[in-house]
Amino acid sequence: MKALVIGWDCATPELVFNKFLDELPNFRKLLKNATYGRMESCDPPITIPAWMVMATSINPGKLGIYGFRHRKNNSYTDIWISNSLKFKNVPKVWDILGKYGKKSCIIGLPPTYPPLPLNGCMISCFITPDATKDYTYPVELKKEIEKEIGEYIFDVPFRTDEKDELVKNLWEMTQRRHELVKYLIQNKEWDLFWFVEIGLDRVQHAFWRYFDEQHHLHEPNSPYKNVIRDYYKLLDKNLGELLDLIDDDTAIFIVSDHGAKRMKGAFCINEWLIRNKWLVLKEEPREIVSIGKADVDWSKTKAWGWGGYYARIFFNVKGREENGIIPKEEYEKMRKKLAEEIRKAKDDKGNVMNTKVFTPEELYPECNGDPPDLMVYFDDLYWRSAGTIGHGRVHLEKNDTGPDDAVHAKHGIFVKYPADEKRIEASIYDFAPTLLHTLGIEIPKHMEGKVIK
Amino acid sequence: MTEGKEEKGKYTTVSIPTPLAEKIKKRIEGTGFNSISSYVTYVLRELLASMEEEEEEAFSKEDEEKIKERLRALGYLD
Ligand SMILES: [Zn+2]
Repeated sequence: MKALVIGWDCATPELVFNKFLDELPNFRKLLKNATYGRMESCDPPITIPAWMVMATSINPGKLGIYGFRHRKNNSYTDIWISNSLKFKNVPKVWDILGKYGKKSCIIGLPPTYPPLPLNGCMISCFITPDATKDYTYPVELKKEIEKEIGEYIFDVPFRTDEKDELVKNLWEMTQRRHELVKYLIQNKEWDLFWFVEIGLDRVQHAFWRYFDEQHHLHEPNSPYKNVIRDYYKLLDKNLGELLDLIDDDTAIFIVSDHGAKRMKGAFCINEWLIRNKWLVLKEEPREIVSIGKADVDWSKTKAWGWGGYYARIFFNVKGREENGIIPKEEYEKMRKKLAEEIRKAKDDKGNVMNTKVFTPEELYPECNGDPPDLMVYFDDLYWRSAGTIGHGRVHLEKNDTGPDDAVHAKHGIFVKYPADEKRIEASIYDFAPTLLHTLGIEIPKHMEGKVIK
Repeated sequence: MTEGKEEKGKYTTVSIPTPLAEKIKKRIEGTGFNSISSYVTYVLRELLASMEEEEEEAFSKEDEEKIKERLRALGYLD
């Protein structure tokens, strides 16, 4: 048996299984002979690390990957960007299949830049700096791609008010990738073919307010109210074309790394830390700046935070940070204290939010790499975290770094075809074992999920 | 390696087996290394540097800036 894995980044269970289902004929037909349902993502439910957790069935702590960026050497400002080299020796499903002589074709799975050798071929993901780089394995594949579809498009800048332009770019990127996928499915040898379409994540972030009546910035009857639905319809049409290309001996998986939901606003973590005496500035910034550019008084600062769809908080620890002030003996006590205070944080209307605060140690059995000291989901992720300073307030109704309407939801989707029609609840850790099982490969002991039957 | 004066706070003591210390002592005779400590410090620095070199960088400086800009625009930074 072979397997085709279709990754729809950010595909949301409520939308594909309910709201839009009637308008997705190919997907609906597939579900009649499929095992499917919600798939719970990892912590944090963010594109990086989620796809890598899916590909390895190993938790983010063990992988040592907590998001797109990480601190370098406990620095206040230096960061490193997630990339494939960090997973060089971690067995991804395609590495395991390669040991059995099986070939894989992997496209756009984050983070796969720079592309590493495998038994098969690879096209790297949106972490690729640009199309002038060597973004394929083998290197020659790049020429072949350019001959077939022209310049490959990795991503689109979605935080823009030029919505018409964005729609055009999104459709163009998706169709180019689709043409390439069709070409490679037919012209390469593969046992596993896995591609990820990032466009769905972008379209949901950019257009959510126009279709979700509950969104605080909802604009009824906007010309963009059907953009998200139309994009799902495009994916469905493309799905139909792929189904025509494959034989009966190929299992099909459709998966997402997390879902989406409306963003209620941006919570300025550092503004809040300043007001609660954890973070001290020498001087108020005159404009909006990132924490790295702010005039922080480190000799008085106990903690600072990062923005993103979830917040990372770091403590200024003696002997660890350059100007650390928290004695090691007080570290745990301080963590507990701050976690308690953050749990009581209020929204813009003065109501206590449903905020979740974790230490990496409680989420993961081991914490490699550069973990934060606390991980925070403001209002269960409905409020994104903004790291910038100088707003003069804690709550922003809009995002601080360009328009964004949606945040991440903990559940993505899982579909396996053909199978008995059955609704299930899956975990992202189950994907790799289920895939290997389907391909008749023994499941390595280190994998943390189970086979979905 | 407790030989030599330890300037307070700048140095720390590390234990190594006595036979190894003897071996090092013989090796540095007549060289520029005036103590076991200075030799061991040199060797460890060299070793660590070579290990760091092996850690390949994924991005050039310029590419990294490009990616940071992109990730910032995507909302993953700040
Ligand atoms: Zn994602």
